[in-house]
Amino acid sequence: MSAAPSAPAIGAAPSSLTATGLRLAYDDRVIVDGLDFAVPAGELTVIIGPNACGKSTLLKALARTLEPSAGQVSLDGKPLSSYRSKDIAKRLGMLPQSPIAPEAITVRDLVGRGRFPHQGVFRQWSVSDEAACDRAMESTGVAELADRQVAELSGGQRQRAWIAMALAQETELLLLDEPTTFLDIAHQYEVLELAARLHREGRTLVVVLHDLNQAARYATHLVVMKEGAIVAQGAPGEIVTAQLVDEVFGLPCQIIDDPQSHTPMVVPLAAVAR
Amino acid sequence: MSAEGSRPGIAPDAALSSTATRRPVVRVGSWLSLPYRRRSVVVGGILAVGVLLLALLTLTLGTLGIPLTELPAAIASPKPGRTEFVLNVLRGPRLVTAIGTGAALGVAGALFQTVTRNPLGSPDVIGLGAGASAGAACFGLLLPGILPVPAGALVGALVAMGLVWLGTGRGFSSPGRMILVGIAVSAMAVAFVQYVMTRVNQQEATTLAAYISGTLADRDWGDATEIWVAVIVLVPFALLLGRRLDLVEMGDDVADSLGGRSSLTRTLVVLVAIGLGTAAVAATGPISFVALTAPQVARRLAKAPGAGILLSALFGAVILMAADLLVQQSPFGAQLPVGLLTAMVGGVYLGYLLLREWKKGTI
Repeated sequence: MSAAPSAPAIGAAPSSLTATGLRLAYDDRVIVDGLDFAVPAGELTVIIGPNACGKSTLLKALARTLEPSAGQVSLDGKPLSSYRSKDIAKRLGMLPQSPIAPEAITVRDLVGRGRFPHQGVFRQWSVSDEAACDRAMESTGVAELADRQVAELSGGQRQRAWIAMALAQETELLLLDEPTTFLDIAHQYEVLELAARLHREGRTLVVVLHDLNQAARYATHLVVMKEGAIVAQGAPGEIVTAQLVDEVFGLPCQIIDDPQSHTPMVVPLAAVAR
Repeated sequence: MSAEGSRPGIAPDAALSSTATRRPVVRVGSWLSLPYRRRSVVVGGILAVGVLLLALLTLTLGTLGIPLTELPAAIASPKPGRTEFVLNVLRGPRLVTAIGTGAALGVAGALFQTVTRNPLGSPDVIGLGAGASAGAACFGLLLPGILPVPAGALVGALVAMGLVWLGTGRGFSSPGRMILVGIAVSAMAVAFVQYVMTRVNQQEATTLAAYISGTLADRDWGDATEIWVAVIVLVPFALLLGRRLDLVEMGDDVADSLGGRSSLTRTLVVLVAIGLGTAAVAATGPISFVALTAPQVARRLAKAPGAGILLSALFGAVILMAADLLVQQSPFGAQLPVGLLTAMVGGVYLGYLLLREWKKGTI
């Protein structure tokens, strides 16, 4: 029971989260149809695409917060629906785009709620719960803010507190839905650096992002979506081309080498040059 | 702003120091560990003392009051006579019913407000009280003799909840729809009550009016037993659901990905809240605003997140006991429906709440 490792994924068996024949719809509106996707183990996968391409919808299905109307998502070859809900939550964490911070909650209490899948009616706050929360807050740099109310924090601090909550869950797989939205630019990079570090420490991450250059810089595996289908996937350096960007986003551009990270960098063509 | 390859993970403003206080935990070996909050324990203790004090005042005040010195003997070995009559008939059952009903309403309100993420959420908002009134009107006056009035109220409340369930198209899993359909069901129930009022004579209408504003007058041990059975069965269930309910508070996506099963949790929580609400209605008729105010005040006292189920129960009991004590000692006499008083005070509170929400820009 308490065999939860302190650094979850290092040396752990690669998790295999796969989606096959996925059809995703909100009521009658079909967003994704017939999609197959396997989350590559040990990678930092970034999903990108224009608005309403179904990237967040796909992430929700992978995190089982959206029930597919056809097809299925499996973990280790078994459909998610065959697991106990709490058992999945010990292996697969997800931070949605706009979670709601309860009134009057402190950072410590918020992070503590991430321990739910490891708790029971009688074991509501074990020593390992305490330790996991401390590690999660330390790792995201919110330990100093533990007793502050979440509502008082800046946008960047708040986002790190939420990521700490997802980390406290101690899952080898972590899904983040547009974690940089609503943040100013410095805090965006702070969150992305945090994601990169979590990946280096051995977790498998899937992150939905809006910004192509950020995606190309931080992804070790890039997935490009358009109109509910995956158009291209692979290492950013291999798949990001001017033709792809024009085709998917309708943006004529030039691809240059990012002088800092040596990843592809999209530079839109000046209006006169179009 | 240059985008450097590596940058520190901590923003400069995060370096503010604060005292790292951990939550105290009760531990027994490794199998039992329950965290608690000191402030909540203190508030709960004060409220419990309040319940005790109000109970003593209820039994001892006034010309019919049992003198404090005689009270222990009267409870331990009741002898037939005036004291026994006051304890067993006049005030005892009324007091015990008030505590149970107040607690039930407090918990029902706490559950509803958390599940709908709305401080105005309460069983009344989705038509429970109005349905109960319609049931009482129907079986008390329109079709007398088929069911006793409290049973009629129970049927009315359950029919109203059934209509809300059907009307949302999603059962009790969508709070927004629940409130909208509840308003419609309430309106229909009120219309029905008014129709009945026009069909009966004035004296019958007055009796009905007293019942449907909720009263603790003339309660017997049957009423007290009924509400306490509901409290003892349903409140532990509410406490068990409480941890999952805390997760639902953070949004369905978060709850689901933590294994909290938001849809199922919400349905169960609403069912428990309706169970407590209908039990309260059956015991006393629809007493308004206790369910609305108790959890709000309890939350503010505790300054903690979460539904605050136990504190809401205690505070609900305190509100109803205090209101009923006022009614019993008022010059208008003990027959005045206590629901009128809670509605009056609650109306003022509701106005304050709306004003505050309006200033915050949330409505």
